[in-house]
Amino acid sequence: MKTMTRRELIKLFGNAAIGTGLLGASNLAFAKQSAHIVIVGGGVGGAAAAKYMRLLNSDVRITIIEPQPQYIFCPGSNEVVADFDTLETLTVDYNTLKSRYAVNVIQDYAQEIDYTGKSLILAKGDVIHYDKLIVSPGPDFKYNAVEGYSKELAEGDFPAAWHAGPQTLTLRDQIKSMPQGGTVLISSPVDPYRCPPAPYERASFIANKLKHTNPTAKILILDSKDDFIFHDVYMDFWKKEHGLGTDNARIEWVPAKNGGHVTKLDTNNRTLTTASGQTLRGDVINIIPPEMAGSFVRMNGLVKGDWAPINSKDFSSKRDKDVYVIGDSAAADPMPKTGYIASNQAKVVTKAIQAELTGKEIGTPFITNNCVAMAAEDWGMTVAETFRYAGNDRAYEESYVMSNPTENPYHRHIRAEVAKNWQRTFRKDIFS
Amino acid sequence: MKKRLLMSVGLACLLNTSVSYAITGGTTAEENAKLRGEYPMPSGEMLGDNCSACHGTKGAEFNEAMPPLAGMKKENFIKLMKAYRENEFPSIVMHDVAWVFSDEEIEAMADFFSAQKPEEWTQADWNASIKENRQ
Repeated sequence: MKTMTRRELIKLFGNAAIGTGLLGASNLAFAKQSAHIVIVGGGVGGAAAAKYMRLLNSDVRITIIEPQPQYIFCPGSNEVVADFDTLETLTVDYNTLKSRYAVNVIQDYAQEIDYTGKSLILAKGDVIHYDKLIVSPGPDFKYNAVEGYSKELAEGDFPAAWHAGPQTLTLRDQIKSMPQGGTVLISSPVDPYRCPPAPYERASFIANKLKHTNPTAKILILDSKDDFIFHDVYMDFWKKEHGLGTDNARIEWVPAKNGGHVTKLDTNNRTLTTASGQTLRGDVINIIPPEMAGSFVRMNGLVKGDWAPINSKDFSSKRDKDVYVIGDSAAADPMPKTGYIASNQAKVVTKAIQAELTGKEIGTPFITNNCVAMAAEDWGMTVAETFRYAGNDRAYEESYVMSNPTENPYHRHIRAEVAKNWQRTFRKDIFS
Repeated sequence: MKKRLLMSVGLACLLNTSVSYAITGGTTAEENAKLRGEYPMPSGEMLGDNCSACHGTKGAEFNEAMPPLAGMKKENFIKLMKAYRENEFPSIVMHDVAWVFSDEEIEAMADFFSAQKPEEWTQADWNASIKENRQ
């Protein structure tokens, strides 16, 4: 087998190939017998797996199966909801992965794993042989957790807007055109779900906008939980900026213990019913449904309950050692479901695969989640989480440090800048 | 020197995790050390690749507010990380990140980053090229 160094590879494909769309280049460049790493899903987990696999190994063939021609990052999409950024900023395509990292991208849906034949069947009928399969399709939503809600309604007048895209824009436009003094209802789901602080960041951003455009409007967060990350920071912000605790509060949070859990949507009357039997009318209704592993993961027998059990050492599935599950679909508690985590799980998997391909011991994994959230453009908060390996059949051990409310505006401001900086660098780390 | 010392004590108080500035939880420093002893140390690359979301792929992001790590002198990296770990150098996030690492882990990361080329990760204006490709 001819081995190419990374430098040779970049010399061959890097500069010359930019913009020429070198789809299929990998088939020409790599010996037929080199291992084929197939990745289901071209989001943060899948794209990071492709790129970091290539950085480790110039020989393997890498193929991503992804139905969409572009990817829209979720981090930053609350900014779009509140209309101070655009989806354009968050949108990337696969050209750099193709040209710089010689990754083959097939635009199709992955359907079925043939575990014995080690192949993947695609919706259009193609059958792709894999040596290693990395599965990272993101989560699916349990729309029926709220009676009367559905995928169709989410795509119509009642956006969930929990995958950045058209629903993000619908929600933005509904908030813009809401009548003066109107009400926004946000239903926040049970754990675990993608990006734990995001419902509260979203509510804050919307409140900041309404303060100027629609000052008598109200936001009600109806929660299926009694607590959430950065709870004290958000409470402090809502008190200081939006009158929380007064008669004129612009924003209110109803925890599950006070009947916040939403059970039913009535589209005709635009109302939500809560567990305590209260019926509330919303001019804008944003239901964030609870989540489960993506349908590909569930259909292929990779789940136990809602999520896919994995071996902690390398994120290989408990079902099959050559199939890995990363990102939101993996049962990786206590890791939160964040893009940051998905990308670092991808790095663990690719290092494990590289060790196996080169006959080495798989190293001890290590994962961090140094995440950020904002309440306003100058009001940021951070959490630094570390996950240490504690055995293949055990959960990782977590330690964390997270922001508390602070009276020091410099700290809030710099954390907001850290958040913005992180978004830019993160997008670039995964896709360029 | 005395003034600097006083200032660093002041900042340490201001940034100290015990003065309601931050919420900490999960495994303690002692439990962390115990876990570290039970398994082989993660490689410098395994540890260092966790830094990329903020500092760029292989620490090679030179265009952002976060300082680049690629090509950083080994002794400087070690000195700074230990100072962050002990909360002896003022920081907003880095003490929260650094407190879990052992001397050996810091040294392994220093080796990893000092071996990287101190060059911006590939193209400067990656976003423009993506927009161009879309048209």
